[in-house]
Amino acid sequence: MSNTRNLQQKLQTEIVELTKSINEIISNFKQLKNPIQESQVKVPMATNQLDKISEQTEAATNHMLDLIENISIREEEVIKGLTAIKKLMPKDNEKINNLLDGVIEKTNINVNDAFTIMNALQFQDITSQQMNHAASLLEEIETKLTQICTVFGIDPETSEEEPRDKKERVYDPHADLYEKKTEQKDVDSMFDQVKK
Amino acid sequence: MSHTILVVDDSPTVVKFVSISLKNQGFKVLTASDGMDAIEKISTLPETEKVDLVITDLNMPNLDGYSLIETLRHNVKHKDTPIIILSSEEGDDDQERGIQVGANSYLVKPFKSSLLVEEVAKYLD
Repeated sequence: MSNTRNLQQKLQTEIVELTKSINEIISNFKQLKNPIQESQVKVPMATNQLDKISEQTEAATNHMLDLIENISIREEEVIKGLTAIKKLMPKDNEKINNLLDGVIEKTNINVNDAFTIMNALQFQDITSQQMNHAASLLEEIETKLTQICTVFGIDPETSEEEPRDKKERVYDPHADLYEKKTEQKDVDSMFDQVKK
Repeated sequence: MSHTILVVDDSPTVVKFVSISLKNQGFKVLTASDGMDAIEKISTLPETEKVDLVITDLNMPNLDGYSLIETLRHNVKHKDTPIIILSSEEGDDDQERGIQVGANSYLVKPFKSSLLVEEVAKYLD
C-alpha cells in the first residue's frame, strides 16, 4: 500500500517537473517567434540593399566609362591635330617642335591614364558578383527560416510589403579582384598545348 | 574594312569596358547580354555582314557561355570563328571545359584592356 503511495507521489512529482519543462519549452518557442519573424523581414531588406548597391555602382561606373571614352576620343583628336601642325611647321623651328612634342607626349600619357582608370573600373563587375553571392546566401537563409516557421506553426507573412519575385542570380562565387590563383600565362599555355 | 567583334556579357560595365577598348583599336563592336541574345544577334545579321571574333563571358542567364560556344561550333558558318572567353572563374576545370567546347583563348577577369587587345590581335590582323 505504502509502495503504491510512494510511486504515486514520485509520479506526481515527475509530472509536475515535466509540465514545468514543457511550459519552459513553449515559452522559449514564443521567445523565438519574434526574432524569426523579424529576420523574415530583415533578410529581404538586406538583399534589396545589396541589389541597390550593385545597381548604383553599375550606373556610376557606366557614367565614368562614358566620360573616359569621350576623354580618350578628344585626346586622340588633339594628338592628331598637333601631329598635323608639327608637319606644317618648318623643321628648323626647334623651339616650337620641342613644345609640340612635349604636348603630344603629355596627351599620350593622359590617354594611357584614362585606360588605366578604365581597367580599374572592372572592380564594379567583380564586387557586383560578390554581392550577388552574398544576396543568394541570404536568400538561402530566408528559405530555411520559412521552413522553420512552417514546422513550428509560426505565421511567416509578417512583412507588409507584397511578396517579391526572387531575382535570377548568375555569378561566379570565386570572383576576386586581388587573389588570383592562376596566372594568365598558365591559362595561355594550357590553351596552346591543345592547339598543338 | 574593319573586323566585327561580338561581345557577350551580362554585365553592362564589362560590355562597355571591352567595347571601348576594341573601338579604340578600330574594330566594329556588336554586343549581347547573354548567349541567347548573342545567337539572335548573329542570326539576324544581314548576309553582307559577319562576326569575325566572339568574346564571351561564361556565367550568364538564359544561355551560358559554354552552351553558346557549343552552339556556334555546331554552326557551319561559325565553326572556325575565334572565340575568347572572359571569366572570373579561374579554376582549371573551367578552362578545360572552355577548351573542350571549342574556345580559342581564356582571359581571367579582371584584365588589362591592352591584354585583351593583344589577344584579339592574335586572331585578327
